[in-house]
Amino acid sequence: MTMKTRSGLPLQRAYGTPGGAGETPGEFPFTRGRLSNPHTQAAWIQRELSGEGDGRRSNEQIRYLLEHGQTGIDVIGDAPTQSLLDPDHPLAREAVGTQGVSLCRKQDFLDLFAGVPFDKVSISNSAPSFVSLSGIVLAARHAGFPLDKLRGSVLLGPLYTEDCSYAWHLPVELRVRLALDCIEYCSRHMPKFHAYVEDTYFFSEAGLSPLEEMALGFVQMRHLTRKLMARGVDIDSFAPRIAMLVNCSMDFFEEIAKIRATRRLFAKMMRDEFGAKNPRSMSVAITSHTSGLSLTAQQPVNNIVRGAIQALSLVLGGVQALEISAFDEAYRTPSKDAHIVGLRTQQIIDLESGVAKVLDPLGGSYFVERLTDEMEAGIRARIDEVEALGDPETLVDTGYFRKIFHHAMEDSHLSVEKGKTSLVGVNVHAMAQEDDTLLRDVASSKIETWHGHTEEIIRFKRERNIARCCAELDNVARAVKGSDNLVVAVIEALDGAATIGEIVTSMRRALGMPGDIFDHPLPQANAGDRHVA
Amino acid sequence: MSREFVAIAIMGIDQHENGAIAIARVLQEAQMKVAYFGKFQTPASVAERAIGEDADVVGISCHSWEYMTLVPALIDELRRRGSDIPVVIGGSVITPQDDEKMRQAGVAAVFATSMDGEKVIESVRELSAQRRRARSLSA
Repeated sequence: MTMKTRSGLPLQRAYGTPGGAGETPGEFPFTRGRLSNPHTQAAWIQRELSGEGDGRRSNEQIRYLLEHGQTGIDVIGDAPTQSLLDPDHPLAREAVGTQGVSLCRKQDFLDLFAGVPFDKVSISNSAPSFVSLSGIVLAARHAGFPLDKLRGSVLLGPLYTEDCSYAWHLPVELRVRLALDCIEYCSRHMPKFHAYVEDTYFFSEAGLSPLEEMALGFVQMRHLTRKLMARGVDIDSFAPRIAMLVNCSMDFFEEIAKIRATRRLFAKMMRDEFGAKNPRSMSVAITSHTSGLSLTAQQPVNNIVRGAIQALSLVLGGVQALEISAFDEAYRTPSKDAHIVGLRTQQIIDLESGVAKVLDPLGGSYFVERLTDEMEAGIRARIDEVEALGDPETLVDTGYFRKIFHHAMEDSHLSVEKGKTSLVGVNVHAMAQEDDTLLRDVASSKIETWHGHTEEIIRFKRERNIARCCAELDNVARAVKGSDNLVVAVIEALDGAATIGEIVTSMRRALGMPGDIFDHPLPQANAGDRHVA
Repeated sequence: MSREFVAIAIMGIDQHENGAIAIARVLQEAQMKVAYFGKFQTPASVAERAIGEDADVVGISCHSWEYMTLVPALIDELRRRGSDIPVVIGGSVITPQDDEKMRQAGVAAVFATSMDGEKVIESVRELSAQRRRARSLSA
């Protein structure tokens, strides 16, 4: 079917300079778009972040979103899950299920993914990578779905996890090893799964500029790539499955230029520095989540507009999947109403606006091309600057990155406070609190703590097969001390009724660290201790 | 009078640090002395250190509803240890209804959706002056 404008003018899928000079979408260096996949005609994967309560409650959310046209899933763990703590940990109890779904044992994952059509939707996970990967493997096994057909992704950010967002309290060497083990496991068993999503979203929410965001993302990606190659893993066996999850804030054209420059930088890096041969290894999939930091608690309805503008710039930049941070972001994880607004925004952009009909519609714009070139040069220069300082893992330990995030957090706030950055409803066009009522009741409605789930976990720990559980935890400790793939040990431990909190406790002890970093007496016998009973 | 000394902390496993770090900087720029205790604090750890270092005001950054139980627990902990250090809280998750509940629980000031630096500075100055006056009277 030929595409036309409303006036009947014909549209091509892509446009270029007369005579074919210049870059073409889908061709090296992929500035103008990824290598096109002939099997998918869909615009982009449309999903909204979900997760609250326990696995059963979050499964209802997933079904609701799929019913309303969502084409992918992205589930976020609650704060205990993100921190690798079980719900019955004294510091975790009040946070169970309030900012995501509680996931600490096999059954939670089975509940979460019950009835989800693995063959139709891709499943992304915004929870610690080795946890999500293990959970999804067990859920697929349980459903009898072949691992080699599973589509989806887990996020990797081993260098920066402790310094911003959710800390794991694991040393950087182990975090890097877990990341590499996830990638190696998937390159062997799950060829359609993105085990390597360079997640620049979470750390750039400290308030990094788009240039700094991508530079640090590339530093991490290059570090992991070198380490994998040093293990003897062929670059073309894992590079095609690398994806990036980028942030998108309010500088409309710079975000578009960032995406275009990132694709070009990635292509050149893979071909020229890492010796990739397969064009798919040079063409990175980019997914995005619009910035939660750019949203405001004041006049929450304004956030709907921000989400739409950001999503539009992402579509113009050409992303493979996108999520809009919901209008109630400043208060909570998305409510049912916020989910629908986000999803409908994406659907309107896709089905009504027509902006996705033509690939890279801004290609050739004097301004956007120049900004793309400058962004590429700027990111490249910053990568070189950081890499010249030495091994990134050492930089983590000396607090180099922590300082960057710390300053970004200060500066992003001060720039609003001092009026350098305009934020409508905050430092310009503010409204008296009593008049600021539109959607506020929806935005500030709360999710109760899921104490019932904690009770269930306590019961589960009491009634499970302790002997098997302890044997699996010993096996995790052995794997940490040895060199076998740790993800395999984690999967089997979860299958053997161990919980994530216990598995991580075992890992810490194997490294000679205290099992519980909070120095709190644990309830009953120490969770994760070999003396679980 | 010596500079006001403010302790800033995040309790529980809330890991949203932007607000805490930003307000620490705002108070420093207003010539106050600020100690950022960091994440993963408990009512006991905050009370112990704030008393030990003789903070004038304790500020808790709240971006997870755990604060609803942890903040009253912190106030209990401080009072139980015989301290009158006032506790203020800030964060976008604090709703007007919860603001009221927190004041009833003894929170001295609440900075919810709008983190207006000037207001925070003014309030912290006032609270620490009050506390110092009360102390000199009882001394």
